[in-house]
Amino acid sequence: MKVEYLCTVLFGTAVLLFFGLAYPHHLHYQEQYQLFLFDSTYVWEIVRLPGGVADLLGRFSTQFFLFAWVGAVIIAFLLMAVQLLTLRLFNFQLSTFNFQFAYGLSFVPSFLLWLFLLDENALMGGVWAVLLTLLAIWGCLLIPKGWKRYVAMIIAFVTLYWIAFGGSHYYRYPTVFPTLLYAAWLSAILLPLVVRLLHRFYRSPHTSYLLPLTSFALVAIVMGVLVWKNANFKAEKVMQYDFMATHQQWNRILETVNTEKPNNQIGVTVQNLALAMHGMLADHLFEYNQNGILGLLPDVKEDATSPMPTAEAFYQLGMVYVAQRTVFEAQEAILDFQKSGRCYKRLAQTNLIIGSYEVARKYLTALRKTLFYSEWANETLPLLGNEEAIARHPEYGRLRQYAYHQDFYFSDHVTPEMLESLFFSNTDNRLALEYLRAYYILTNDREGYARLLRELGVRN
Amino acid sequence: MKQNIILPFYLLTLLLFFAACTETVSDAKQEAAQPQIYPDYLGVTVPVNIAPLDFCMADEKALCIDAIVTDRHGNILHSQGRESIDFDLDDWHTLLGQNRGDSLSVTVSAKYDDGWHTYSPFSVYVSPDSIDYGICYRLIEPGYEVWSKMGIYERDLSSFDERALIENTQFEGCVNCHSFNRGNPADMSLHIRGPHGATLLRHDGGPLTAYNTKTGQTLGLCVYPYWHPSGRYIAYSTNTTRQLFHSAGHNRVEVFDEASDLQVYDVGKNELLLSPLLKQDSVYETYPVFSADGRSLYFCAARALPEDSHQLDSIRYSLYRIDFDPQTGSFGNQIETVVDAAAQHKSLSFPRPSYDGRFLCYTLSDYGQFSIWHHEADLWLLDLSTGESRPMTEANSKDTESFHNWSTSSRWLVLSSRRDDGLFTRPYFCHVDARGNVTKAFMLPQRNPRRFYRERFFSFNVPEFINAPTRFDGRRASRIINDEYRKDIGVRKDF
Repeated sequence: MKVEYLCTVLFGTAVLLFFGLAYPHHLHYQEQYQLFLFDSTYVWEIVRLPGGVADLLGRFSTQFFLFAWVGAVIIAFLLMAVQLLTLRLFNFQLSTFNFQFAYGLSFVPSFLLWLFLLDENALMGGVWAVLLTLLAIWGCLLIPKGWKRYVAMIIAFVTLYWIAFGGSHYYRYPTVFPTLLYAAWLSAILLPLVVRLLHRFYRSPHTSYLLPLTSFALVAIVMGVLVWKNANFKAEKVMQYDFMATHQQWNRILETVNTEKPNNQIGVTVQNLALAMHGMLADHLFEYNQNGILGLLPDVKEDATSPMPTAEAFYQLGMVYVAQRTVFEAQEAILDFQKSGRCYKRLAQTNLIIGSYEVARKYLTALRKTLFYSEWANETLPLLGNEEAIARHPEYGRLRQYAYHQDFYFSDHVTPEMLESLFFSNTDNRLALEYLRAYYILTNDREGYARLLRELGVRN
Repeated sequence: MKQNIILPFYLLTLLLFFAACTETVSDAKQEAAQPQIYPDYLGVTVPVNIAPLDFCMADEKALCIDAIVTDRHGNILHSQGRESIDFDLDDWHTLLGQNRGDSLSVTVSAKYDDGWHTYSPFSVYVSPDSIDYGICYRLIEPGYEVWSKMGIYERDLSSFDERALIENTQFEGCVNCHSFNRGNPADMSLHIRGPHGATLLRHDGGPLTAYNTKTGQTLGLCVYPYWHPSGRYIAYSTNTTRQLFHSAGHNRVEVFDEASDLQVYDVGKNELLLSPLLKQDSVYETYPVFSADGRSLYFCAARALPEDSHQLDSIRYSLYRIDFDPQTGSFGNQIETVVDAAAQHKSLSFPRPSYDGRFLCYTLSDYGQFSIWHHEADLWLLDLSTGESRPMTEANSKDTESFHNWSTSSRWLVLSSRRDDGLFTRPYFCHVDARGNVTKAFMLPQRNPRRFYRERFFSFNVPEFINAPTRFDGRRASRIINDEYRKDIGVRKDF
């Protein structure tokens, strides 16, 4: 293998290991705030807009982020492709190239894209837009000089505007200008021009591999440090808790909190849910970090991320209407108006539990058009309207039994009365008891706790 | 090389063949029953200029559907499809035009695993009363407090064309309460909420202007609008609205007012007209509408709850009326009860008088005024000449019927209903003749309706008739919205 390709592989491996080992939950996060549908209307609605092809490719690749290592492989390949194309545009030949330092510079656009992807709001469409641009330029340069190349360049420019340039959906906040992405884009276009110019006028001594490798090492160290410094490992930890709650990994959550106690609201919420699922919440409350009642069932906020672990707790408790509202609101708060596979799944479940079968069918029909949720949707569809099967179902049957018997109004704030009503409508709901006891303890409501004990005594 | 071209061509032709499902209905089993189709178009009355009533089989198991529409003159319209019937637009309109005031017969055959089944024909009555050009509505997910993508759209009722007037991708915030003067889009009112909040007004086809409708002497921003027939005034409510959510039962959301008043905006003088009778602290007044002659203001009102009370199921609105003098812009000095719904332990919302002055259609639910979240809500028709009300049983369903409005001819009613799946609001239409006879409601036609309605996660909010395309310049509107300038309005008190 040529040395220049060895460095590419080295770079790709570093990207793979970074996203696979150090940043996997950022990839899960990306996946859960979009819903890629294999549906002609969905595809058309995206590609008809400027930049739509890059956006579609981004969304298509993001669906694989459900499996972090697959996502890491995809990102690694894309960034390697960007680097190789940049190098190709340099027209770099190790033995004859005058400006040997150029080799290291070929990694700059890819590193900038890596930096861009550290942000959880950076979208994969941006990476595809850069890649498509490089592919188009490379394609044009393959055509021999002359009018054909000029015609090809005009066509490429117009096409590129439509499939990549004109897009605005490369960052989740529509009003934010993704500087790093545009820096990567510009560097991918301008660096080849600069390098080709330098090749003409600059003459460095041909010292075989030394200068190119040094340039690679220099760029790799500088950019590597930048990547590490800018990586948001705190957010990664929060996303890990959310991921574990989504996948109901209660044991893993406890193992994680026993290693390092969470100091953020989502972490504490998930920790308390895992403790409650193990029946340990009330008795072991203060062996773990607490955040008052805000760490138990925090008030629902109007964003897409923070309510999700709370919604999981609502759902497990049997507060199905509350869970439904929380998940619905979280999905509506996704900034770029996308939908979420995770939310659709939960909305299908909650509608199924409350007997709103036609609404559940809508969500399930949409999920059938996905790659990774279709199997679950196909298994769930026969349950609709099948009261006996739902009653027998270990999760839906249980949650139906836990449902509130009495209708009351709720808003963003969970009150002890809501937990009391939940527990006393079905005293088999031990999770509700755990939360109720914890609520009294955290609010120092001795009277409430004593009342609960009295009531339990009477019932026993 | 030649082979390379021919093969894809054959494949494409085959694909089109199967997609179109062109089969001869043969050896069909004759069914005594009429077909169960989606949407339910059996026995409906439609306007002569309505878009084709494309439909699917209700059960989703059919492999192919075939429909033959015949009339008394021997004309035949045929369509066949794998998922849905899709009538040719021009042929459909020609057939309806030839059968104005007469019935069409529709024979449906469906192919299942065991072969073809042909059902007993059903009829569709073509009313000679045409319907307006289109409807205008907001598309929004039926949610709680947070919104995602939404917009205001117009739909041509004689075709399937839909166009966005404005979407919230063009500015930060939400858009609601579009309103026209008797379907005339030259007079238009539209609210923008959020950081760029404004009321956009277009009068007599003039330019759009953004207003700040909040004044120091009124409760808050203008909310529910209704144009005076002269175009000179717009009646608005002003509401302090809250939401709470149900923990169990059928209804999910409760939207209620903690305070509300009424006010009339004088478009020419740029001032709000107030009356002490319409802004009482002990009363929630809302949903103002002008009578057909413009000399009365109808509205809903309920006794206000004591502060901090959440006995929402005790808030019951009735229908009232007050005189309004369009010459002077002054109000009468007494309020008259028109329908005492509260006395029947019911609550009345969305009063809408027909433009010919004959009827007033309203929604009746168990309590409150935001009836779209009430599954028990139904439409009622008040005969303004007799004062008698009756439920519009022919058009109602077991599920929610809520917002509604009249076509400019007063012969058609568009109504919002959640009968399809219990949550997503769809527009339906029914005919109301001069004697108050109401026909079965039919759903807004779509190409492949099951796919369309199932895949669309939006409710059709506040469907309003328009008698012509709105010619609303969304780009210009978004520039106005994103601009900081808002025209303030004055206040004129009658007390």
